[in-house]
Amino acid sequence: MAFDFDKPLRTLSSAEENKKDQMLWEAESLGGITEDNNRLPVPVVWLLMLTVVTAFLITLPLWGQRPNAAIYAEYVRLMNTPEIIAMQDDNAAMAKIVQLSKGVHNDKHQIEAKSKGGVEAPHVGESLESEMDYDALRARHPVTMDDLRIVKPQIEALMAKGVDLEEYTVVGDRVVIANFEGNYKANGVRERKQPWWDKGYTIDIFYLTMFFIGVTMVIKCLPPSSWQPKHDH
Amino acid sequence: MLKYLFAKNEDIPEGSSAVYWGFSSIVWFVIGTGLGSFNAAKLAFPDFVTGNEFFAFGHMRQVHVHAVIFGWISMAFGMAMMYITPALGNTKLWSEKLGLWNATLWNVGLSLGLVLLWAGVSSGREYSDFPWVIDLYIALFMAVPLCINVWMTVINRRTQGIYTTNWFFASAVFMVAIVFLTGNLPEFFHLTGLTEAYLTWWFAHNVLGLWITPVAAAIAYYTIPKVTGNPLYSHRIGHLHFWSVVVFYSTPAAHHLMSAPLPEWLKSFASVEGVLILVPAIAFVSNILLTMTGKWHMFVENLEIRFTITGVLMAIPLNMQGGFQQTRAINWYIHGTGWIVAHAHLALLGFSTFLEAAAVYLGLQMILKRKLYSLTLGNIHFWLLLIGFTTYWVSMTIAGLIQGAGKIYEVPYIDVVIAEHPYMIARWLGGTMVFTGNVLWLYNMWMTARQGTVIPVGRMPHELAYER
Repeated sequence: MAFDFDKPLRTLSSAEENKKDQMLWEAESLGGITEDNNRLPVPVVWLLMLTVVTAFLITLPLWGQRPNAAIYAEYVRLMNTPEIIAMQDDNAAMAKIVQLSKGVHNDKHQIEAKSKGGVEAPHVGESLESEMDYDALRARHPVTMDDLRIVKPQIEALMAKGVDLEEYTVVGDRVVIANFEGNYKANGVRERKQPWWDKGYTIDIFYLTMFFIGVTMVIKCLPPSSWQPKHDH
Repeated sequence: MLKYLFAKNEDIPEGSSAVYWGFSSIVWFVIGTGLGSFNAAKLAFPDFVTGNEFFAFGHMRQVHVHAVIFGWISMAFGMAMMYITPALGNTKLWSEKLGLWNATLWNVGLSLGLVLLWAGVSSGREYSDFPWVIDLYIALFMAVPLCINVWMTVINRRTQGIYTTNWFFASAVFMVAIVFLTGNLPEFFHLTGLTEAYLTWWFAHNVLGLWITPVAAAIAYYTIPKVTGNPLYSHRIGHLHFWSVVVFYSTPAAHHLMSAPLPEWLKSFASVEGVLILVPAIAFVSNILLTMTGKWHMFVENLEIRFTITGVLMAIPLNMQGGFQQTRAINWYIHGTGWIVAHAHLALLGFSTFLEAAAVYLGLQMILKRKLYSLTLGNIHFWLLLIGFTTYWVSMTIAGLIQGAGKIYEVPYIDVVIAEHPYMIARWLGGTMVFTGNVLWLYNMWMTARQGTVIPVGRMPHELAYER
């Protein structure tokens, strides 16, 4: 069947093809069942468009940020401070750590001030360009002192190596390289941080586009929706 | 019925295999929901039937799940295919004999598989719990013969076009064999780890997405125009529905594993596709509800229409829930809780069961040419099913939210168990109502076959008045 591109949004079939289809459509009884040729109602079209937009917005990778090692770096540092070491109650110590960590790392001005004032250099893995909201991530992934005691040596070892802690994920009792596959960095290694817009989304856009093009072509090969069959057999 | 197994094909009365599949499905529904009620009682009352490993929840759960999916739902599908596929092609079923053998092999294979599960011989993979021998049996001796019969009937049709229902039937019977052979690869080749996890959920997702959902929808495409006499609202929306199932329903298996260390791009991809499952749902629901135009009184008056439209309406919460619960943010909260159990029952006991029940009610009356024995029993069945299911769904959804809160806030496990106890009792009550309704249904259909009013040739069951 050849496509006719004269009026592509009305029909892609030739007049003869449409005539043939219309005759068959009206003549044929499929077990006593007939079909109409209505188009998708306009409100339903809007509903479908809303669905597509929602699908992308509600599944943004950001909504499911994993706990990376960087968000606990400040916790680990605070564990070594005399104030925390002196506390006997784990719950109280954890509450104090959480309180002292509030705003640390995701507040660029604070980090910059710290750097300039020479009070304390940014921690290893701390990036001034980091877009991650550490407070939100910490609230989303609370830990206990026991959890911290398990991951502390692993995080400290990574800090000693000088790696970017945001590229490491805390999975249960292990700190492992994250399984994200981002762009290649200057050193030829892939970035392992959770991206704002990732490969899965790109594939989805391709998929969705091909789907709508394909279905539109299938539907537009039918007689135009302005024609309705007469079911009088 | 069994006497026809060795008869010549031309000597077997038309519709025999559909009747066999239909009654088998109802019997499995009674067994499956009876097991469900038993299992729910064990969760509501922990001291109920203890001390025997064969009645332990861990043994019984899989038996319930597989009896319902492969006994009730799949055999009701087989029944629908045996009478709807030829009807839509203005022809006869390609082979009644193959249909009868297929149903027999189905019943034997399923019984064997369930006995093995009951005995504790399981692959340990949820939904694909059957050991690999049974998986191969299902693919080769249950799915393939069904596929051959449906395809040959479609190929030998006496119409030029193929109606929407038969697109879905023909595609689904082909895909279910592929799903079984591919989804069980971990068992055939001892694949482990993430590969096993992914293929397990690829199987579970696609048993729903490429078998249960499309075939249930296909039934509605037949039942509503056939009983109301209205033309299907839109052939072209049928295209949108069919192709969006193929594209969006077949792909998001990874959304069952949002917390697993699968590649994040795969989870992002699957999560978007998971919401886009709403595309076929919207197309399907709008097409069927618009087909009802001018015939809404039949939603009240006609049992088959009531069952079908109730099932179609349940597709809305089902797909809204399914689309959103798999997103990272919501899945984090409800994963591994009773919420998912409620959702699975909304799909299988809500949406699809109501559509299949309509197909079995309508099909058995049309083939047997007997009017339903008792409308009252039919109505009681409908309401027991609806109220029982709703009770189950609401109670398990609430229990799931409690479990989610308990999980996130690290509430001691026993406190969560105590908090959800009333909902476990409600779950048992709901499930027991469903089981009771199904016992009545089996009686009603048996009596229909024996004493139902004879329907004259060329008439539909609903055109005759009820006599009792």
